[in-house]
Amino acid sequence: MNSFQRERNRTSIRVLIGIVLLVGMIIVGRLYQLQVLEYDTYGPLSRENSLRQESVHPARGLILDKNGNLIADNEPVYTITITPANFDKKKIPLLAQLLNFSVDELEVLVKKAQKYSWQRSSKLIPEVNFEVFSKVEEHIWELPGIGHQIESKRVYPTSIKASHILGYLREISEQQYQRSNRYRLGDKAGTTGIENRYEEYLRGELGTRFVRINAYGQALGTYDNGGLDVSPSSGANIKTGLDVDLQKLAEELMVNKTGGIVAMDPRTGAIRAMVSAPDYDLSKLAGKIDNEYWAQINSDSTKPLFNRAITAMQPPGSTFKPLMALIGLKLGVITPKTTVYCNGAYVKGREYKCTGRHGEQDLAHAIQNSCNTYFFSLMNKIGTQEGLNAWTKLVNDFALGHSTGIDLPNEARGIVPDSAYFDRAFGKNKWGIGDVINLGVGQGAIGATPLQMATMVSMIANGGHKIKPHLVESVYNATDTVYKAQALTDSVTWTNKEALDLVRAGMRKVVTDGSARWYANIKYVEIAGKTGTAQNPHGRDHAWFVCYAPIDNPQLAVAVLVENAGFGSTSAAPIASLLMEKYFSGKVNRTWVYDRMIHFVPKDEDGVAE
Amino acid sequence: MNWYKNFDWLTFFSWMGLTVMGLFSIYSATQGPVSEFLPAFIQQNFWKQLIWVGASLFMVIALQFTAPRTFSQVAYFFYAFCITLTIGTLFLGVEVNGAKSWIEIAGFRFQVSELMKVSTVLAVSSYLSSRRNISMERLGSALSAASLIIIPGVLVLLQNDTGTALVIFALTPFLLFWSGLPYGISLFIVSPALIGYFSVIGWYWGLLTAFIITLMIFVIQKRVWLTITSAITGLILVGGVNIALTKVLQPHQIARIEAFVNPSFDPKGWGWNVIQAKTAIGSGGLTGKGFMQGTQTQLRFLPEQWTDFIFCVIGEEFGFIGSVFVVFLFMVLLIRLIYGAGQHKHPFAQSVLVGVSSIFLIHLLINTGSALGLLPVIGIPLPFVSYGGSAFLSNSLMIGISLNLLLYRREFTMYI
Repeated sequence: MNSFQRERNRTSIRVLIGIVLLVGMIIVGRLYQLQVLEYDTYGPLSRENSLRQESVHPARGLILDKNGNLIADNEPVYTITITPANFDKKKIPLLAQLLNFSVDELEVLVKKAQKYSWQRSSKLIPEVNFEVFSKVEEHIWELPGIGHQIESKRVYPTSIKASHILGYLREISEQQYQRSNRYRLGDKAGTTGIENRYEEYLRGELGTRFVRINAYGQALGTYDNGGLDVSPSSGANIKTGLDVDLQKLAEELMVNKTGGIVAMDPRTGAIRAMVSAPDYDLSKLAGKIDNEYWAQINSDSTKPLFNRAITAMQPPGSTFKPLMALIGLKLGVITPKTTVYCNGAYVKGREYKCTGRHGEQDLAHAIQNSCNTYFFSLMNKIGTQEGLNAWTKLVNDFALGHSTGIDLPNEARGIVPDSAYFDRAFGKNKWGIGDVINLGVGQGAIGATPLQMATMVSMIANGGHKIKPHLVESVYNATDTVYKAQALTDSVTWTNKEALDLVRAGMRKVVTDGSARWYANIKYVEIAGKTGTAQNPHGRDHAWFVCYAPIDNPQLAVAVLVENAGFGSTSAAPIASLLMEKYFSGKVNRTWVYDRMIHFVPKDEDGVAE
Repeated sequence: MNWYKNFDWLTFFSWMGLTVMGLFSIYSATQGPVSEFLPAFIQQNFWKQLIWVGASLFMVIALQFTAPRTFSQVAYFFYAFCITLTIGTLFLGVEVNGAKSWIEIAGFRFQVSELMKVSTVLAVSSYLSSRRNISMERLGSALSAASLIIIPGVLVLLQNDTGTALVIFALTPFLLFWSGLPYGISLFIVSPALIGYFSVIGWYWGLLTAFIITLMIFVIQKRVWLTITSAITGLILVGGVNIALTKVLQPHQIARIEAFVNPSFDPKGWGWNVIQAKTAIGSGGLTGKGFMQGTQTQLRFLPEQWTDFIFCVIGEEFGFIGSVFVVFLFMVLLIRLIYGAGQHKHPFAQSVLVGVSSIFLIHLLINTGSALGLLPVIGIPLPFVSYGGSAFLSNSLMIGISLNLLLYRREFTMYI
């Protein structure tokens, strides 16, 4: 070996050792970068990797009736979720078979989930039944990326529907999601009814759970023995003033009819029953919405989603007359002794027809006989002597013409016209007393909802105390009552006991001797009431009946509106009287009235003039 | 003469140190809590490895009683035997993980390509030590030596064992460089790998690399034709890589190549391994999560964590300190072997020692580079640390031969 070669060998050794050291330095440098400098990045990343943060849905608050019967409860539903990034597309046939889906259908759903997010889990199949859920869980080790979520859906344990009272839940909108951090996209929130109005209380707070997972997404148990978990706090429960038995009967009686019923405690305004017919089935809207059903009730021409009890405005007809009497007495245009002679019509510029020839009528008889002539004359006096607006103010005091403040969304305000209203409708100075006289018998440009009429009759019954109708009595959680319905303290001061007694006596006479005597004069409780018929230019008239009982100690007030049913005495009054009977005697004794109303078909010639 | 004074304890103990680190890691990766998710045959890997380690230790000791010249004498026979076996495997072999490089005899599987590495080093060393030094003017023997490497390399490639083939090919510049191939030409041979690598990261980096290498070749060799060839080759490579990545290759192939540059390009495909491997190592921090405590390892986030990704297990559970310790053991082993080559008088022994250390170096670079996200994921084991009987035995065979050559370095010199 010559010296040149030795020299070259020495150089080569140095070069090789240099290369080895360079490789070593690159590796150590990279290790230093990843493990020391970027530890703060990778540490949490590995924790996230092996931990899954899951939201734990709180149990939604329960809804009970006044006797503690559970009306709205929860039941677990199983949702199959997918994390597309971890999912193996080759498993679609297996999954489809387990879920009873076709491969094509499932592929579409998987694509949809991928579009939503590649990394985050999203709902693949909502609400599968327990058998399907367990089948999927048995094969979960073969199905990386597939998971589940247990949520709850509403169930309604009683036989009442109460669809318009309770309302349904729907997935929250983008705006709701943005506005509050209490929701996650895809969460549901109350959209109508109590579920909507008391969403804040019912919802509860989302909890968080950390679950250890492996690379296949299999849950391996809690992390740190649940030390980081935040348990969800259940929603608060709601106690309503509803009477399930009364509600059930009211619903039965309104089947195949259109209209609304409101039954309330006249002393407090607590709603005991509220029906809007036609209604819909809440259980079909709970959990996974039955899309066919949803489309059907949305397009139905009878508008089942529409809560007629608080939104259907109809002229109150003769049920308005008791209030007219109070107003007449207050304004001093009549006294109890004032008489009007009825010869079948009232003439003022034209003829305003009465329902009969009543002869000489004082106020009590005018109410009992529902004499239009008397009230046309009264309205004429009010209109000419006091002006329309004085009347409007007084009517407003008895809950008409403005919302009652019930704890339901979208209540209608009703219409009680004042001069400004007519100015708008007809033009200034283009209307006159002729347009006003009609109002005296609750016809014309006046509209009230069943809820407003129930409130009005309640106030007559309770001596003029103002009440705020309400469904919810209290909201309570495990430890506290967090909300309690507050009673209003003010009363109508312009009326007095004599006037009220006179009107009540007239209303009692309606039941004992007047238009309601066939159906409403029952032995179980003394009812005072007034029938009414709202003129309907588009078809058969709408039937009204408002009443309360017992006469001397009012505990229940009922307003019934049956649209297109003709006379109030034959359609609305029997329904109200059955509710009274049920409420005060505990059962329906007059089964023939019940049967008649169940199979009720309105006939024009039926009933009696009112 | 006291044999224990001549015996290379440093090589022996760094070899054993790596083996022990490997056993700990394999135990954690197969017997730890993760075993719940592993099939039974993989759980047995630790015990199998233990047997291989025992057998290899016995073999290494036995080899010390062999005369060193035996290795140069049997080199060609061994080479021919391995070539025959490799060809045989192509037709009769068993496919494991897509590579048909395994031969099965009586239920016992052996990866022939691992042995092919050993025989190639011996054969090339034997050939080169029988020739005069390669020089600029006489490149013929360089070509012959290169073909001795390329033939087994291609055969192994045909077996679809890309990783091992790459290691065999990579022997060429190292062995030729050692036996006198001018430095400029050696650099030229290596340049495609470097330029290609940097071109994948970015065409401008590729171009810069090509420029620097061309400049270096010119400074070292001062041959105009070589400089021009290097420049042209460099430009073609940069352009070729770019065209391949944008026009020619299928998306999934691009994804695999690009995964290490940009793992989020295909986060659930090739990028997944890179992300999980980096996360495992990074989350180990300075001191690691502790033996059998790594979440990435124990929750099965790492692919092939007992073989190709064993370095991630070390990084996660033993941290920066543990990983650097392993790198340190490799440095000791490699520098010791290369230094030994410099000390040795016999060209065959020199060449074998350089070849052996080259093989280990390439394994170390590619394996850790894959795990650290510095290189595309190429599945080759980390010598002595990864699970794998054939690999452990073959690598230990190289250690045994190296120890033998170093032990008898004085006696062996006389046989020149």
